[in-house]
Amino acid sequence: MSTQTLTLDSHKAGTPPGDLAIWFFIFAELLAFGIFFLSYAFARAHNVELFNESQQHLNRESGAVNTVVLITSSYFVVRAVAAIREGLSRQCAHWLAGAIGLGGVFLVIKLFEFHAKFSAGISLSTNTFYMFYLSLTIFHFMHVILGMVILAAVMLKARRGGYSAEHHTGVETGASYWHMVDLLWIILFPLVYVIR
Amino acid sequence: MQYQSQAVAKPYFIAAIGLFVGQILFGLIMGLQYVMGDFLFPAIPFNVARMVHTNLLIVWLLFGFMGAAYYIIPEESEHELFSPKLALLMFWIFLVAGAATIVGYLMVPYAALAKYTFNDLWPTMGREFLEQPLPTKLGIVVVALAMLFNITMTALKGRKTSISIVLLMGLWGLAVFFLFSFYNPSNLVLDKYFWWWTVHLWVEGVWELILGALLAFVLIKVTGVDREIIEKWLYLIIAMTLITGIVGMGHHYFWIGTPEYWQWFGSVFSALEPIPFFMMTVFAFNMVNRRRREHPNKAATLWALGTGVMSFLGAGVWGFLHTLAPVNFYTHGTQITAAHGHMAFYGAYVMVVLTIISYAMPMMRGRAANSEKSQVLEMWSFWMMTVSIVFITLFLTAAGILQVWLQRVSTTPLGFMAAQDQITLFYWMREFTGLIFLTGLVLYIISFFVGGESKEAA
Amino acid sequence: MSQAFTKSMARNIFFGGSTFFFLLLVALTFDTMQVLPKRDHRENITPAVERGKMVWEKNNCIGCHTLLGEGAYYAPELGNVYARRGGGDFIKAWIKSRPAEGTPGNRRQMPQFNLTDQELDDMVAFLKWTGEINTAKWPPNIEG
Repeated sequence: MSTQTLTLDSHKAGTPPGDLAIWFFIFAELLAFGIFFLSYAFARAHNVELFNESQQHLNRESGAVNTVVLITSSYFVVRAVAAIREGLSRQCAHWLAGAIGLGGVFLVIKLFEFHAKFSAGISLSTNTFYMFYLSLTIFHFMHVILGMVILAAVMLKARRGGYSAEHHTGVETGASYWHMVDLLWIILFPLVYVIR
Repeated sequence: MQYQSQAVAKPYFIAAIGLFVGQILFGLIMGLQYVMGDFLFPAIPFNVARMVHTNLLIVWLLFGFMGAAYYIIPEESEHELFSPKLALLMFWIFLVAGAATIVGYLMVPYAALAKYTFNDLWPTMGREFLEQPLPTKLGIVVVALAMLFNITMTALKGRKTSISIVLLMGLWGLAVFFLFSFYNPSNLVLDKYFWWWTVHLWVEGVWELILGALLAFVLIKVTGVDREIIEKWLYLIIAMTLITGIVGMGHHYFWIGTPEYWQWFGSVFSALEPIPFFMMTVFAFNMVNRRRREHPNKAATLWALGTGVMSFLGAGVWGFLHTLAPVNFYTHGTQITAAHGHMAFYGAYVMVVLTIISYAMPMMRGRAANSEKSQVLEMWSFWMMTVSIVFITLFLTAAGILQVWLQRVSTTPLGFMAAQDQITLFYWMREFTGLIFLTGLVLYIISFFVGGESKEAA
Repeated sequence: MSQAFTKSMARNIFFGGSTFFFLLLVALTFDTMQVLPKRDHRENITPAVERGKMVWEKNNCIGCHTLLGEGAYYAPELGNVYARRGGGDFIKAWIKSRPAEGTPGNRRQMPQFNLTDQELDDMVAFLKWTGEINTAKWPPNIEG
């Protein structure tokens, strides 16, 4: 796809896009999630039956739909970055609005899922599997909200014409964070919902 | 010194060092009581000595932080302090309240002190580190609020730098989270849960903002590196500190009746807590290596670098050693905790206060740096105290490992006192090393009185 | 485009990140508060337990002992002392029998606190209740 080659071309080798500071943040977040994922694997290895049994009760359909929603939103963000590299502020803002909208869809689907679980009396203290399921998904849920706030800030600035083809570090910074949120879900979904 | 009003920091620093000496003396008393149980009994029982030791530490660090704020904020704001008189008045109130509290601990049985100070009306006493009687606690709030008012007004009138913003946030946070010390429910689990909102959110939260700001200020001054660079790293480091440290509070919620998911949250986030300390070490060395001037105050630079290294070792490495729940299950509440506490407090907070004192005191005495002779002595004291604390930590760690082994891991566990009897050798070595620490501290104080040719202030 | 690392971005991460994680702490605290009644058995906090906690605090017991692993490491853990000593009688007898001038020899000393019988009973009630808190199986064994 042309957008992707564009992403690769416009950077010198070895420098990540966006502000370096966000990469420290992304690094810390990935570490926290990474250790959580490892802990999940560790805890599961000690209690395979409980994990497999509890996993049956998760709503894999809504998880799958949400995966598609987030990947699509990430694509929108890629288009937004491509647009601002052409200096097209309005298009950039529109693509970002689309991505934020999809983030909202993700949250709504997730809320239905949480509602079903909470009404069934499931909480962090139900068992180890649900502890991980709720911790990881709620933690990720909060990240989606944070990512939407960041994208919204970028969108507002783009709409005001605050970025240009030459200066758009802010867009890349927000995009990097959003891709991380997407990436985490792509790991989280198979790990917690599917693999057994 | 660029502004006259910065001089109010001087009595704060002097008081801090004086109380530091008291803290170490009581530490030595306790250390001896570990191996000679009847030492000074019943005049000064262990619990009283410990209360004096830990409370003096807290009070002198607060004196150091406040002195630092009064010194730094005018210089950063490029504006005289809003009210030097108020700062001086608060100094005397705090000193008298602190001294009266310590005298109270030593002269009156604690239960009687509680009775005289209206503890029955609003019980807050008798909890670790928050043993202060109600009037003292209220006094701390008044002094802190007066200081915050004073320096916030100063900062509002002048230039607003990142360092002053971070320092102000740290000090405001200190005051806000201290309010949890007034909450003492009769349910022990709730009591402990929110006790940590003062203790943990101080030492692994807002105090680290103060630490970062103090270190950044001194590094700008002694290295001449561009403020933009130092300030952006400051923000990034304290961001990492709070990102890992706030939920890292979970490592205190493993075994006090709180839900078991805290074992996961606490372990995951506190495993990341060494990262900001490591960044701080790298940052301090980087800035010194990229220095654009040779500041005559070599001692202050040494203290600044030492803060980076020792806080990483004490808070980062020694914290990580026992922070994972499966390890902490065995080490919780043993000499391992004491080992970590000693190196972390020294490496992070003692050293950063000594850093700012080392930089600011010569300035307030009208020179850029002390004489060569004085600085050499100060650096000797640096090494003696620092090496001593490393060995104290190692001995306590050894004692802790043995304690855990004998009392908790063994299939035929020994009782607490029987296990303690097996590890007295390490307590003796710790006490001996403590004497070397005291010698280092005496040298440190002497270094203030060593004359010789000194550089004039720029 | 050159690599950027700006102070304003670092500042945003500081404010955003710390707010975010503070909210996470608040959320976890909220959940903890829902679960705690099942773990601390607060229905058993009688007036005697409440008074006992006051006796514990007024005599600064935490200055030598640990309670659920927190406190000073000079004297034994007391969170499970009720179970370790098989009830309250030993505890009361021990506290009452500390000589005011100390025990001979250089063993560690516990002061004589001159507690009344009422205070001793309250203290035992407090320690008994404390021993029943669900502490996730800590300490590892009865020695504390």
